[in-house]
Amino acid sequence: MKTLFKLASTSLVGMALLAGPTWAQDQIRTIHLLSRPQAAQPAEFQAVQLIAQEWRKLGLDVEVDVMPWEQMSSAVWYDRDKWDVTAWQMTGRPERSDPDEIIYNLFHSSTAESGYNFIGYSNPEYDAVVEKQRVTIDPAERQKLVRQAQEILAKDQPNMMLVHPEQAFAFDKNIWEEDSVVNQSGIGIRNTWTWLSLAPKTDQKDIIVNSSDNVIAVNPLYISGVTDSFITELLYDRLFRVGPDGLPTEWAAETFEWRDDKTIAVTIRSDMMWHDGKPVTAEDVKFSYETTTGGEAPMYAPFGQSISSVEIEGDNVVVFTLTNPSASFITSSLAKINLIPKHVWEPILADLATKEENAESYQEEMPIGSGPYKFDRWLTNEEIVLSANSGHFNAPQAERWILRLVPNAEAALGMLRSGEINFLTDFAGDPQVLIDAAEADGDIEVVSTVDIGFRYVAFNNRRAPFDDPAFRSALSSAVDRRLIVKAAFKGFAVASNSVVSPALEFWHDKAVVENFKAGPDIAKSMLDEAGYTIVDGRLAYPEGVKETLGE
Amino acid sequence: MSTLKPVLSRTFQLILVLWAVVTILFLMFRLMPGNPLAAYIDPTFTLEQQEALIRQFGLDESLLRQYFTYLGNLLQGELGYSFRYRTPVAERIWLLLPNTLILTFSSLIVAYIFGILAGAWLAWRRASRAEAFALPIVLATRAMPEFWLGMVLLAIFSFSLGIFPAGGTRSAGTEYESLWSLYTSADFLSHLALPMLTLAIYSQGLPLLLMRSNMLDVMKEDFVTMAKVKGLSPYTIVIKHGARNALLPVMTSFAISVGYQLQGNVVVESVFSWPGLGRELVSAVSASDYPLAQGAFLMIAVVVILMNLIADLLYTFLDPRISHA
Repeated sequence: MKTLFKLASTSLVGMALLAGPTWAQDQIRTIHLLSRPQAAQPAEFQAVQLIAQEWRKLGLDVEVDVMPWEQMSSAVWYDRDKWDVTAWQMTGRPERSDPDEIIYNLFHSSTAESGYNFIGYSNPEYDAVVEKQRVTIDPAERQKLVRQAQEILAKDQPNMMLVHPEQAFAFDKNIWEEDSVVNQSGIGIRNTWTWLSLAPKTDQKDIIVNSSDNVIAVNPLYISGVTDSFITELLYDRLFRVGPDGLPTEWAAETFEWRDDKTIAVTIRSDMMWHDGKPVTAEDVKFSYETTTGGEAPMYAPFGQSISSVEIEGDNVVVFTLTNPSASFITSSLAKINLIPKHVWEPILADLATKEENAESYQEEMPIGSGPYKFDRWLTNEEIVLSANSGHFNAPQAERWILRLVPNAEAALGMLRSGEINFLTDFAGDPQVLIDAAEADGDIEVVSTVDIGFRYVAFNNRRAPFDDPAFRSALSSAVDRRLIVKAAFKGFAVASNSVVSPALEFWHDKAVVENFKAGPDIAKSMLDEAGYTIVDGRLAYPEGVKETLGE
Repeated sequence: MSTLKPVLSRTFQLILVLWAVVTILFLMFRLMPGNPLAAYIDPTFTLEQQEALIRQFGLDESLLRQYFTYLGNLLQGELGYSFRYRTPVAERIWLLLPNTLILTFSSLIVAYIFGILAGAWLAWRRASRAEAFALPIVLATRAMPEFWLGMVLLAIFSFSLGIFPAGGTRSAGTEYESLWSLYTSADFLSHLALPMLTLAIYSQGLPLLLMRSNMLDVMKEDFVTMAKVKGLSPYTIVIKHGARNALLPVMTSFAISVGYQLQGNVVVESVFSWPGLGRELVSAVSASDYPLAQGAFLMIAVVVILMNLIADLLYTFLDPRISHA
């Protein structure tokens, strides 16, 4: 039977050779490119249309499938071998100021099955490099490895990087001293440092900001949304904070010392108080870390997973022992996990332990932290009011911080001009409209910043033809990113070829972006070189590769 | 006996309609594409954590079982837990309902007072130049989309003239001792003005046109001719004799308008950042928070159905010509 089959197949090949090249090469099936709807994601939708248009010029048959996020995420995330190409985004968060989360979780082969490497990229050389940077504590040494990882990605093009968007925020310069506004690298002027240093020029001492999202929860053990984290960052202290330059700096920690590459001793400040007047102790710090990793706070748990034990030495030293050396530990754990009062949370957690719900479902009536602002009140879907904690070691210059919930972007801009708000922290409209309005007004200063986050098109590396790096590179090179920046993002973005944003200057590899060449001719010659040819007007696989997924 | 029977049969119909609404709501949200919790399950969760969340919301049960649990909970006034806020839906709806009711009733009262007076006046001035001018305007206000009207009012009275604030129910950070002191404050009323006006302009057309056509009928009646012959003043004829008789159908339409107005709130509350039920419905739907959206829909449906019932019953009791016997 086996020989028979062999015979049959060789004769088939023979026949194919005789019949000419149309038989030898399989046409590539229709490629489905996923995008979210124009109404929800106008820039993404526009970019996808442009990309599909450029790919069609190469002879590919491309169909754009538009679907809402719920459907798209479950199609891409849970049916990992069923899709071809999809638009995707990673948002910028302060803890992503350390490149580890992005370069490791998104591309390491261990996370391909159910983790963040949903594209199924697998490259042993790459795995080795990102594993090594993880345990390399020396910054200069680690920088080399992080850049090497970016170079491998540029060569393999597992994803087609599009842009790092620019975020524009604005404030009233009649009310706030311009030089007291802090522009945090990759985050923008909307950040904790600004809320601390913002100095009033007049009697108006309330910082009034806006958000179009509702506040979901004010909970130190639940990552419930971008807006909510502005609030928890102000109410709760952390041992470290990510500084304006993107690197971690001591906060509730007075000093720290790496005893070896798996042990770090942190001395905490002695002058800290909870908002209810009780002192912050090493016991509270230990409790905070144990709670976070203890199963009641699943969203924070990954940030503490490298900790094997937390011990107290003397009055105010907390010693963390790690399971493995971790270079990003300070940024991703110590600057991320909120310090919570043991006397408040211990009874709550004891009660929750008997229930199906975890700490994420628990909303305190009056959240108690030790941070630079205290919780004042929360009017559902209207506003959150925090007042300055004058006893804090880094007390704010302003008196109150008030978040107004404004779903209408036009109204938010009108409010900035009328003084109903004085710091625009969320503007969903066209950035050009904001800039024009600021010019017309004269009192408004707009600051736009390149984001840590990025937009990209993910190739399903598990499926032909996207399992071929040469094919992916050619497709990626087919689209001039300047076109995407101008047409889809209206100029408010920078072209990208690296997952590490230029905002993270220390880690970003300039060369991979500068050396990236794009254009239809470049793409065509790359395809040609890899053996892809046009058969009957459609792009076909190199000789010997069969289409197995055609409909 | 003769008045009790229609009430009972109406109430029975009401229950039937409610059951249909509840069932459609249940099916509608479960037939949507994708995993209902997809938006709330963070991809970094382990499989165990994801399953725990699904169990917590009872989504691992069969559809039929979920349906009966849902019906059973509804009977006890339980609307379930919001996916997004992880808190009881009923709690959230009660928090937001007062804001919606204030906006709805204040705008309807303004619309009806204006509509009734203007309708009576227009009937009196039948075939005049005033009518030729006013009627097209009234028809135009009925045709204007509310969000557009809202944005125009915002642009004029808030952004350009700066007379009224652009959103919310009060100025940032102001505190009031009680709801009463809030609702009677100048601050609150100036925030209420624009959304109230938007809804009032939109809804004054119905009472106005209804009042006008009723008045035209009434004015043909003998007792009005009699009054004219007696030489009474136009005010006495229109208001005392005409309007009182023409008013009845307008008052019952008020009840039905409450229902329509709640739908209008969905849009207007979002334009004016008004913390009410309509805006919550929009955000719940766009965030796929199905239990909350379901609860808000249900609340609105209940009010609409109840108001229809009241309108029907008002007819029975107030107008002897209509009988359900």
